[in-house]
Amino acid sequence: MLRWCDFVLRAASPLVPYDIRRDWLREWRAEFACAATRAARLNQPMPMASLPRALGAIVHAAWLRWDQWRVEMIVQDIKHAIRSLRRKPSFTAVVVLTLAIGIGGTTAIFGAVNAVLLRPLPYPEPDQLVRVYKTTLEDADRVGGSVSPPDFTDWRRDNGSFGEMAAANSGSLALTGLGAAEQIPAGLVTGGFFDVMGIRAELGRAMTTADDPMGSRDVVVLSHELWERRFGSNGGMIGQQIVLDGVRYEVIGVMPRGFQYPLRSEMWVPLRFSARDLETQRGAHYLDVIGRLKRGVSIERAREDMRAIGARLARDFPRTNRESSASVHPLRESMVGSVRQSMFVLLGAVGLVLAIVCVNVASLVLVRAIGRGRELAVRVAIGAGRTSLVRSLLAESVMLAAAGAVVGLVFAYWATTAIASMDPSIGVPLLNQTRLDVTVIGFAIAVAMIASIVFGTMPAWQATSIGDVVLRVREEGGSTTGDPKRQRMRSVLIVAETTLAVVLLVGAGLLARSFDRLLSVDLGFSGDAVQTFGVSLPTAKYSAPLQRQAFIDTLVTRAAQHPNVESAGAVFGLPLTNFRYGISTSTRGGITLSDDDQDRLTLQVRLVTPDYFKTMGIPIVKGRGFTSTDRFGGQLVAMLNETGAARVWPDQDSLGHHLELGTRLGLGGARAGGMVVGVAGDVRDHGPAARVAPTIYLPYAQWPDDSMTIVAKARNGDPLSLVQPMRALLQELDGDVPMSSVRSMQQVSSIAVAQPRLYLVLIASFATTAMLLSAIGLYGVLAYAVGQRTREIGIRLALGAKRGEVLRMVMTQAGRLAITGVALGLGAAVLASRALRSQLFEIAPTDVLTYAVVGIGLLIVALAASWIPARRASRIDPLAALRHD
Amino acid sequence: MRRLSITAVCVLQAIANGFQYGFDIIDQTQLPSGTVYPALGRLERDGLVRSAWENEADAHADGRPARRYYKLTAPGVKALGEAAAFYRSMLPAGKPRAARG
Repeated sequence: MLRWCDFVLRAASPLVPYDIRRDWLREWRAEFACAATRAARLNQPMPMASLPRALGAIVHAAWLRWDQWRVEMIVQDIKHAIRSLRRKPSFTAVVVLTLAIGIGGTTAIFGAVNAVLLRPLPYPEPDQLVRVYKTTLEDADRVGGSVSPPDFTDWRRDNGSFGEMAAANSGSLALTGLGAAEQIPAGLVTGGFFDVMGIRAELGRAMTTADDPMGSRDVVVLSHELWERRFGSNGGMIGQQIVLDGVRYEVIGVMPRGFQYPLRSEMWVPLRFSARDLETQRGAHYLDVIGRLKRGVSIERAREDMRAIGARLARDFPRTNRESSASVHPLRESMVGSVRQSMFVLLGAVGLVLAIVCVNVASLVLVRAIGRGRELAVRVAIGAGRTSLVRSLLAESVMLAAAGAVVGLVFAYWATTAIASMDPSIGVPLLNQTRLDVTVIGFAIAVAMIASIVFGTMPAWQATSIGDVVLRVREEGGSTTGDPKRQRMRSVLIVAETTLAVVLLVGAGLLARSFDRLLSVDLGFSGDAVQTFGVSLPTAKYSAPLQRQAFIDTLVTRAAQHPNVESAGAVFGLPLTNFRYGISTSTRGGITLSDDDQDRLTLQVRLVTPDYFKTMGIPIVKGRGFTSTDRFGGQLVAMLNETGAARVWPDQDSLGHHLELGTRLGLGGARAGGMVVGVAGDVRDHGPAARVAPTIYLPYAQWPDDSMTIVAKARNGDPLSLVQPMRALLQELDGDVPMSSVRSMQQVSSIAVAQPRLYLVLIASFATTAMLLSAIGLYGVLAYAVGQRTREIGIRLALGAKRGEVLRMVMTQAGRLAITGVALGLGAAVLASRALRSQLFEIAPTDVLTYAVVGIGLLIVALAASWIPARRASRIDPLAALRHD
Repeated sequence: MRRLSITAVCVLQAIANGFQYGFDIIDQTQLPSGTVYPALGRLERDGLVRSAWENEADAHADGRPARRYYKLTAPGVKALGEAAAFYRSMLPAGKPRAARG
């Protein structure tokens, strides 16, 4: 037994700090020896309890080691590290700033990813929240698909999986009678909506299913923000009446701060369906359906449930539902699914920058550690072991990383604030929730710790090899060349850095080319100097179509009379505003189409006034545009865009033919449509990357709607100068009609490409940072190498080498590293750029031109970075060099 | 100074009771060796106990190697008194005391 115990003690002893190891071993051995002696005196074997007691010695040894480290490392090493870093303020500043860029950038992008993709949605039990879509049998599990009121009502009644299901729609209502009229974004929701979301009113009550029946009181729930902004947080608002779109609504509740679903709703009003709606609207898909799963019901079960209901509806209503099914997806997925990949690509890109930062800092730390050969040698001479040297260098790295993290967090705070306040029209949901919370700060700390280990350990280990340190002292006494092993390590770092930079630059290059193509797409209109704004006529006041038509007519005519207005028009469905209003064609040339043909010939409907085409610069390619004679009571007329004309009448000219849509609009309840009198040029309504949709234009005078966008072209070329006169005009015509979405056409176009632009700007800034860092890294390594080889170069020159040869020698060394890095980087970029495929427009991820430009460009930058050290080498004075050190 | 842990109080009390060697303290307190030795280390670092080697000649005369023994210092006696009083006050009234005084 005593032997076993002694074995354990010997095994544990290396853990004990060297200076107390002998005493430790002596104490434990003495105790075991006494225990053995005592047992022997009693003629007993040594007790079995001795073995676990010996295992306790391991714990004791580990504790002693930790205790020593704790005291030494935390106090002594840190003090030493701070002293030593303060002695080299420029090195410290460069490293801290470099790290801050890496840590700050990564943290900010992680903050956005956390808000958009990772943090639970800000609703109770968010895992149970789902979206339900109407899909087709062909693509049954699709994300996306609006729902008709009768389908929603049947789903809600027949399902067994949902605790509650609700339908919502977003729109806007004009708030009048309280100061300036204002168009306010509103959610139109069925009674179960707030139960589904699990949100209770902060004040008053939320809507319930009791508010659903047609003819119930008109009620409104306010968002906290609207209540604060427009009603001064007045608690007495509950029970008060406000006027929305000319109708009186009773305020019944205020929602808690931050709740804005769907989209950016600032208030919620009931969405109600009449018996007639439920009878006739099975083909009208315009609702978003959300649901809360019952406890214990999985999403798969809900999917099966909904599919079964879909199959039953397909049997019962074959005309509208024959090809239909339903899909269920988590609410978050349906909100952010489209941006998931780009967010992760961004995180990956900024991660690459961080990797380059680490490599760069590692190379700086290594050079500095090696430059401290004499100091390290002295410490070895007075008894410091390698572990203690590594520890002390690591402490410096930890200090640098900590400082980098602090400065980086300041960067990140600034960046996350900027991200959160970005224009929501960029179209990344939840982005405004980005903030530095505990998770994000924890991430930054983890990144800093990992970074300090990555850039600190390897150089520290290399620089402190005892043999090396001794060698280095000798070297400083008269060595001629740098140590090839260390030189190799720095070369590896440079190659790694260049490789990573190439990957990022290729990504940025591809995105830049793609964006350039996107901008050069002909949108089909010229929005130069065109100002736009929305008007929404209160239904109560403008219930008759002719009233609406008269108001818009006056507004447009008066606008056009303004001296600074070249022309003015109005449209229902401005291009590039994500407006979709597709209706199937019902009859062509008087012949009713088959169901399949009706669906195939779905046309986007746009209502326009005569001068709309002129104002927007949309050419009339055939026939005529609308005129003031195309009025109610006259011949019903229509125009098609080129795509629409080719789709409806592929083999003949569309002019003079008749078509009707499958819906009744506007005056007299006639089916929308008429005789085709003209064909307009194609307009890319849904953005430069989207295909042109077949479109039908109808004259506003024959089909007046209550919600129009006014477009006016400024004579002086400055669309903003029209805002004030137009506002005054609108105020003069009717103070209760608010001006909304006031934007120039240029702004509208700019918003349409805001997401790809932001993406490009971010990736390009990461890539530029990466390129600069790798150029600085290459410069640093070469400058150091030249410094190390001063003596060798001096001897070469003294022996007759030409200066040009020396220059070539250094440049060749740099060129070799750069070419290796670029070659590896281009290879890696071929693999990495696949992740960008969905972001690229008309550019292949393997676009040769981009790869060539990046490769050559980076080589030029690398050679430029190495020029200064190479020139310095070629100008070395042989005499001075021989006296060097 | 921070209040002593129960482990530290047990160890100090064992020493105060005259059990001065490592294994004797372990036997007395019934605590594992991996707890008692680090506790002794901490108490020594904090100046509440001090250690020394016993006389080699005496140990040899007893037929065993010399052991390290631990003694309370004056601050150790004071800290033990205060901590023991605190832990005693935590016990319900009328119950026997946890450790002999």
